[in-house]
Amino acid sequence: MSVALEGDARQAAAAKVAEEHGLIRKAQAGDRLAFEELVSRYDKDVLRLAMNLVRRPEDAPDIYQESFLRVYRNLQRFRFECSFYTWLYRIVTNVALDHLRRRSSRREDQAPAVEDGEGTTRDFFDRQAEQRAAANPERSLLGQELGEQIAEAMKQLSPRERLVFEMKHHEGMKLRAIGELLGTSEETAKNSLFRATRKLRASLKFMR
Amino acid sequence: MDRESHNSTQAAGGACSEWEPLLILSAAGEELDAAEEANVAEHAAHCENCAAALKREKELLRVMGERRVEPDAALLASCRAKLEDALDREEETSWLRRRIGALVPTSWISPRPAWSAALLLLLGFAAGLLGPRYLERHPARPATGAPAVAAPNIAVASVPRQDATPAAEASGNTGLAALDLHTADVSGINVIPAGAGEPPEVQLQLQAQRPMTVQGTVDDSNVKRVLTYVLNNGDRFDPDLRINAVDLLRARSSDPEVRSALCHAAQSDRNTAVRLKALEALNGAEPQKMVQQTLLDALNDQNPGVRIEAINALQSMAARGQVVSDEHMLSVLRDRMQNDPNTYIRMQSAAAFRDLGPRQKF
Repeated sequence: MSVALEGDARQAAAAKVAEEHGLIRKAQAGDRLAFEELVSRYDKDVLRLAMNLVRRPEDAPDIYQESFLRVYRNLQRFRFECSFYTWLYRIVTNVALDHLRRRSSRREDQAPAVEDGEGTTRDFFDRQAEQRAAANPERSLLGQELGEQIAEAMKQLSPRERLVFEMKHHEGMKLRAIGELLGTSEETAKNSLFRATRKLRASLKFMR
Repeated sequence: MDRESHNSTQAAGGACSEWEPLLILSAAGEELDAAEEANVAEHAAHCENCAAALKREKELLRVMGERRVEPDAALLASCRAKLEDALDREEETSWLRRRIGALVPTSWISPRPAWSAALLLLLGFAAGLLGPRYLERHPARPATGAPAVAAPNIAVASVPRQDATPAAEASGNTGLAALDLHTADVSGINVIPAGAGEPPEVQLQLQAQRPMTVQGTVDDSNVKRVLTYVLNNGDRFDPDLRINAVDLLRARSSDPEVRSALCHAAQSDRNTAVRLKALEALNGAEPQKMVQQTLLDALNDQNPGVRIEAINALQSMAARGQVVSDEHMLSVLRDRMQNDPNTYIRMQSAAAFRDLGPRQKF
């Protein structure tokens, strides 16, 4: 019974892949609607990844757009040697890495700061935490303090460390796949994850 | 603390340094095989420091995971709309790049700028020197069997009304009939405003083996033929041209051929602005099954603006009593009122469903 179900699932997955390949071929032939269909399948994931990688929401749409434009310009070069998802994510991570590197070289771009009524500034992620905490007032104060600590801790990570951490823990990818995406080895991705974890642990007071 | 941890050096997190990477990977999940996981669990069971470190790693991931940001629908819709605009611009520039690339291979030019400049100068010089001589010896021949005229390589296929003579019109029609629109390119549309109440003159420049200008009002059959061709073959023409074509044809939306071209553009043009314009033009069109079907199809368009235009058009046609509701229409409206991500469309679909759906009898 379970073997039959497994077979059905495999057949369904193969049909899905074949259907997507058909769509990609149409897009490669210049079919704009096919390309837009591909975009709509993956763009929510791409935007989420961008938002969590750059941790500055106003930059995420730029990464989204630049990534899909690169996909559009280079679709002819996609040779079906890996999944479209992997290829797309490789492009998004490259765009995000470029963005993070540019940002880390510009001091004024360090935090998405917004001034509140009391004259203090807090970043987007603090505000997100507060919105969530509002549903549970007891956690509000703790959430705000924690948010500040996490935002500060994330600043300590290099672009690559941030990217590996995000891909591993939020996108649920394996280190081998992350290594492939970044054009490096599993071992290098692993070391980036170790460094990121140690830095976060060292920066977050409650982890000590 | 047991003997094992006493013998180990400690990492910064308090765990045994040789176990610390494995603890990180164990907390991360899906990185260690079963045997490695079992080793980590066994060690943590005997080493208080490592057990505490593993617990802290998991807590760190839980806290970080809670602060994850999810994009909202409005941001995603705005990104999609901007991407669509950027793709339109990209298509326009890539069209130009392809044509330039066909003439001059950029892969050759970029590494040799000096040679490329010299070659271009030489080509320009040769063209300037030899071109006029060639043209003198080989005057352009007309496409039909008409006698060759000395100079003009522009033919007027359809002349302005006030100058029209039967002979001139006949000759113009022959010219356009002979012109294969599949190989011609429409390089521009000029609209010449007319007096009050008069339809404007339209001038269409066609690039083919023999360039041609088609001129007349939108009522002119040749003008109509070119404009509907542009809409039916949207992939070949620029979005600006297609938008102009829709604008000009909307005055003739009662013509079945024009209506069909507008429906085609509303359903399949790859540019959102063209689809929107075509729907606007159909809003005032004579109600036909085809128009109704086009509006229903547009309710499933990816772009929320197009869907809004479609539901508005459908409602205004319904208000004029021009909509014949059937089971298919009601099922589309039901689907939109339940599943459309846009609140306005859901509300308007519900209103249309209420107006057009079966009424209860009392």
